[in-house]
Amino acid sequence: MPEPDFSPERILGALARHGVQLVLIGGFAAVIHGSPYVTTDVDVVPNPQVANLERLASALRELHARVWTAAEPNGVPFASDAGSIAGVRIWNLVTDFGRLDLTFEPSGTSGYEDIIRDATHLTILGAAVDVASLADVIRSKEAAGRDKDRLVLPVLRRILAETDRP
Amino acid sequence: MRGGTFIREARRRAGLSQRELAGRLGTTQSAIARLERGRAEPSFARVGEALQACGLDLVPQLLPLDEADWSVASVNLGVDPDTRVRRHQAALRFAVAGRAALADARA
Repeated sequence: MPEPDFSPERILGALARHGVQLVLIGGFAAVIHGSPYVTTDVDVVPNPQVANLERLASALRELHARVWTAAEPNGVPFASDAGSIAGVRIWNLVTDFGRLDLTFEPSGTSGYEDIIRDATHLTILGAAVDVASLADVIRSKEAAGRDKDRLVLPVLRRILAETDRP
Repeated sequence: MRGGTFIREARRRAGLSQRELAGRLGTTQSAIARLERGRAEPSFARVGEALQACGLDLVPQLLPLDEADWSVASVNLGVDPDTRVRRHQAALRFAVAGRAALADARA
């Protein structure tokens, strides 16, 4: 099965329709803030409350989310319910519309409540979503410290300097 | 970038309130707030002290200036988020098509 076309607005739209509380973070949030770097997945931080995870599980079933592994890029089915989702801190998923990563505590943060306070509510190509502040995207990437994160940080910091003037 | 932005990033990464950081630095919460909001610009040494109070260190590094990626980012800042996402998707489609064409050529 070929990898599906990456359609972030359809992933985010499904999550919004199910009323999932989350914050978009990572490379795609950076794109929305002006980053020139291409990314091929959506990274979100869900509100960990049980009722929200139940809505998330429902949305994931609609998206036919499967667990991505290197051995099985088309994904492995899993039990999409609130309890299972809460039991794993990072989920790498593949959906009908591309890759979706769920992270409860992105590096350098304490999770949803930490990031939502400075997030901006936007409608992107028809999908309503809370987008992490660029400062929080940078905080997470700086703390993660992976090579691919270090590569993009100078330009992200420069965008922040241009847009975060007092 | 402003020193206050660095201090805010370090403080939040350490999970400290402005009052807690102020206590570690022997200053006031309002002084930290002024720094973070850009109402006062800290010295380089003061930024280093604040970061150390957060359990982090600032390691300066001199690198050649590279304007290539910034030139694209600065254009992105002139358009709205929808347009940024559309351009991103167009770039991604082109990259995927290029990868497929390369695979075909090698086959």
